[in-house]
Amino acid sequence: MISSFIANPAFLEDIIRILFVFVLITAAFTLSTRNIASLLTVYAVQSLLMVLIAIFLYLIEGNKTLIAIAALTLVSKVLLIPLFINLIGEKIKISRDLKFNYLEPTASLLVSIGLILLAYVFLSGFFSEFILGKLFFMGAVIGLSLTLMGMLVMFSRRKVITKAIGYLTMENGVLLFGIFVADLPFIIEILIVIDLMILVLLTTILAIGLDSTIEEYHQRLQTLKIWSGREN
Amino acid sequence: MIILGYLAMGAIALALIALSKSHRTMNAFFILHTLAFLAIGVYVLLTTAVPIFETGSEYFYVDHLSLYEVLIAALLFFLASVYANGYVESLVQAQELHRNNLKIFYMIFSILLTTVTLAFFSDNLALFWIFAELTTIFSAALVAILSAKENIDAAIKYIFIASGAMLFSFIGLIFLYTLSGEVLGSGTLNWIILAKNAALLSPKILTASFIFLFIGFAAKSGIFPFHTWLPDAHSKAPSAVSAILSGVLLNIGIYGILRMYAIVRQTQAEPMVSKFLLGFGLLTVAVAVLNMLLQKNLKMLIAFSSVEHMGILLLGIGIGTPLALFWTLFYILAHSLTKASLFFSAGILHRQYESNLIQDIKDVFSLQPIAGWGFVIGTFAIVGMPPFPIFSAKFFILLEAFGFSKSLVFAVLLLLVIASAAFARFLIEAFTQSSKDEGTDGMEALLPYTVRGGMKFPILSILFVILALGVFFPEPLEKLLNTIVYELGYM
Amino acid sequence: MNASFLLFTLLNTGFILLVSPLFMSLIKKVKAYAQGRKGPRLLQNYLDLRKLMQKEVVYSPNSSGIMRIAPYLNLAVLLLASLFVPVVFIPDAPAGIGNIIVFLYLLAIERFFTALCGLDAGSSFGGMGSSRLMSLSAVIEPTMVIAFAALAYVLRTVNFHEMFAITAGSTIPESPTLTLISISLFIIIIVETGRIPVDNPATHLELTMMNEAMILEQSGKNLALIELTHAVKQTILMAILINVLVPWGLVTELTFAGLAVSCLYFLLKASLLAGLIGLFESSIAKMRLFRLPSFYMMAFFFSALTILMEVFA
Repeated sequence: MISSFIANPAFLEDIIRILFVFVLITAAFTLSTRNIASLLTVYAVQSLLMVLIAIFLYLIEGNKTLIAIAALTLVSKVLLIPLFINLIGEKIKISRDLKFNYLEPTASLLVSIGLILLAYVFLSGFFSEFILGKLFFMGAVIGLSLTLMGMLVMFSRRKVITKAIGYLTMENGVLLFGIFVADLPFIIEILIVIDLMILVLLTTILAIGLDSTIEEYHQRLQTLKIWSGREN
Repeated sequence: MIILGYLAMGAIALALIALSKSHRTMNAFFILHTLAFLAIGVYVLLTTAVPIFETGSEYFYVDHLSLYEVLIAALLFFLASVYANGYVESLVQAQELHRNNLKIFYMIFSILLTTVTLAFFSDNLALFWIFAELTTIFSAALVAILSAKENIDAAIKYIFIASGAMLFSFIGLIFLYTLSGEVLGSGTLNWIILAKNAALLSPKILTASFIFLFIGFAAKSGIFPFHTWLPDAHSKAPSAVSAILSGVLLNIGIYGILRMYAIVRQTQAEPMVSKFLLGFGLLTVAVAVLNMLLQKNLKMLIAFSSVEHMGILLLGIGIGTPLALFWTLFYILAHSLTKASLFFSAGILHRQYESNLIQDIKDVFSLQPIAGWGFVIGTFAIVGMPPFPIFSAKFFILLEAFGFSKSLVFAVLLLLVIASAAFARFLIEAFTQSSKDEGTDGMEALLPYTVRGGMKFPILSILFVILALGVFFPEPLEKLLNTIVYELGYM
Repeated sequence: MNASFLLFTLLNTGFILLVSPLFMSLIKKVKAYAQGRKGPRLLQNYLDLRKLMQKEVVYSPNSSGIMRIAPYLNLAVLLLASLFVPVVFIPDAPAGIGNIIVFLYLLAIERFFTALCGLDAGSSFGGMGSSRLMSLSAVIEPTMVIAFAALAYVLRTVNFHEMFAITAGSTIPESPTLTLISISLFIIIIVETGRIPVDNPATHLELTMMNEAMILEQSGKNLALIELTHAVKQTILMAILINVLVPWGLVTELTFAGLAVSCLYFLLKASLLAGLIGLFESSIAKMRLFRLPSFYMMAFFFSALTILMEVFA
């Protein structure tokens, strides 16, 4: 009975549509939450949704690369990256709450509705040339919207950790866009993940110097007379 | 074979640096690394029949353009490494750089060279993308190595703006892949195949993918409106690194735009894309120049000047005629060298005065004659005065642009005049200050900073080379540039 | 006005009146358990209502006729609104009954008179509560309209009776977008009934009151009616959410067995939803007044998203 469900493509498409809905919900939470811990959880959930979408797409399409992508995403984005950020967070006790936003959640949610519309209009202009199924078109739109919303997070928050999560969300969006529009060879995906890991590594290490309140940084600012507030 | 040679050299150098104990050995190995790359490059240029595919898998491709860029990069790294010998040592002594970080510094510097080389040699756009991202990350690490809060700020801004824009670039990649898949049967991201089949690609989607790709490459090269990271990153980094940032890394973005434009040029999308590039080029020059007028920080002035020159490069690419391309390529070489010399001189001045601001620079010519005069001559060069090479490059590019649109040329000329004025204002204000002007509460006479060995050599040699380039245009170079123009499909 | 509809009126209204206080006390009980206490009995609300009915009504000398009519008026309006939301079976209703716009306005009338009551006695707390509530309602109004519009767009009708008929006919949610809508509807329930994080219904500090402040002056029978009104509003809004998302059990024909089963189903689903509301209240803190619009914005976002998704797919 389950297998007959799984074999039915219309059912699978519906499930993928529900997953799209959840992805957008996670994006909305990323935009409006103020707590760093919940941000990480939301990111992990979002990546998990990506994994599920990849698996269900595999069931529809049968493209083996998708399973590999799902496995890779599971390991790197659902497990490793949140684990790593948590480790760093524990070591230096970054303050839990985000203190400032440039753009209040109200306004960012409104702007993101505009961004989703923009993505839709833009892509529908192009996909008259390509012929994509409705599901794939929706996937492309959601992917592009997720990227734009990630960019919004990156530019409207002050703490570096949230900017990093914004970047990771953008990456998720591009991944979603990629698996629906084209099928890239797997080696590219691996290299992208490696690049992502190094980036997150570097950024979090740098963030230690920025977000925490280590005293020696204040002292260093005194010795490096050059930077001591005489210029902006 | 060639790529393996580069990779092997890179790996050996990295290992040697990792094992070194003293600054001198690390620096020596790094210099050897750059020399090895230079040697391989020249050897390949002179002996093997380029263009050739590499490693049999069509992922790496050596043609004259990539060789040219790699040679420029290796040369600049060589000069920077020689300069770094003295400069980094004095940074360590002034305690701006920790001795523990020295090894990491040199290792990342070495990896950066290898990554840049591999980026230029990539045939596959996705591979190019990955290497370009890696160069962003490594160079940001170099910016942040000084561990001051502003450096980390600048590095993080750099990473996020460049990487975020590169993600949009990736969307452009996906567009291109699907587009080529529709037309050619199976999707491809290789420059060569795309260039060969350019005429078959649908112009509308090609334009869209070009614009997305442009976003990423423009951010990497500091084109408006993605240039906001550039002044901070380039001015706060140590001067040896700034020279590399301005002279090599900005070239990566321009390289990508060049290759893409060579593909677009063969389709009907060219007029619109050309206007697009010209527009952005003009805007970049305008924004950079207007900012230059306000600068009180020496290295920020030089950084904004980099933005300005990138704008002119965009103009050169956008014009699209073979002659414009020829001079754009020459411009890349000239700009990299001249900018490096400026940063090197600025570095010496920074060590002398412990500051980059106008008000702190006094008695330049008596304290640091080489750096002072080097800076003045470098300014003449960078602003485009004859007999320096930037003059000829700008002249011919603008000449070609005249055929396009006269008002564009006049606007650019006006902006260039303002740029020269900005430099002049800074120089006159800074270099004519004397400690005797200060009242009775003036500081004690500044002790001249002893310029260590290796810091003078790069400045002097660059000045000599650009003078020579400006006066005599060497024929091998001309032949090389002509071959590149031919290979890109312009004639 | 056929017999089916008459029967529906009696059954629906009676059922809702009977069941509403139960859900209120269920929510209180869940919150109590979450806080580690046992909480009042489930039937406590009924006993409270009976107690209040037997007490004397005291009117402030400054109050006007509004104080005297408003509780009755409110209950009447809300019971009329309850006709729009079939809870156990879907009748053959005359045109106009079930229209979502009229429904919205009926709720607005109730809110209006409650606010007037708050002002009526001339006490400053009442006025404060009224002004707070009215300003928040002004912000939630467009969100409610959009949420119901999205519902109408997805189910292609503006009549609740038809909507429930459509959803009752399918086994799984008619469209994935209904999941999004349910979130908006959930947020609307929280806002309209003044639960945490919008307003703390159990507060005894006047400065933190919103809804309570307006009914502070009520007593005796009037207070009982107002409490009942509040409970009925809660039940109706919960019923909308339930019948949109999980409509199993809703019947369209009038058979005794069917009715019994559907009543039972409704009780079950509504109890679960009440438990969910209680848990949600216990897990979140009351928001600052000025942060509330961002909370509403989530509902707006999801409703707008629903409409967009329907357009895409």
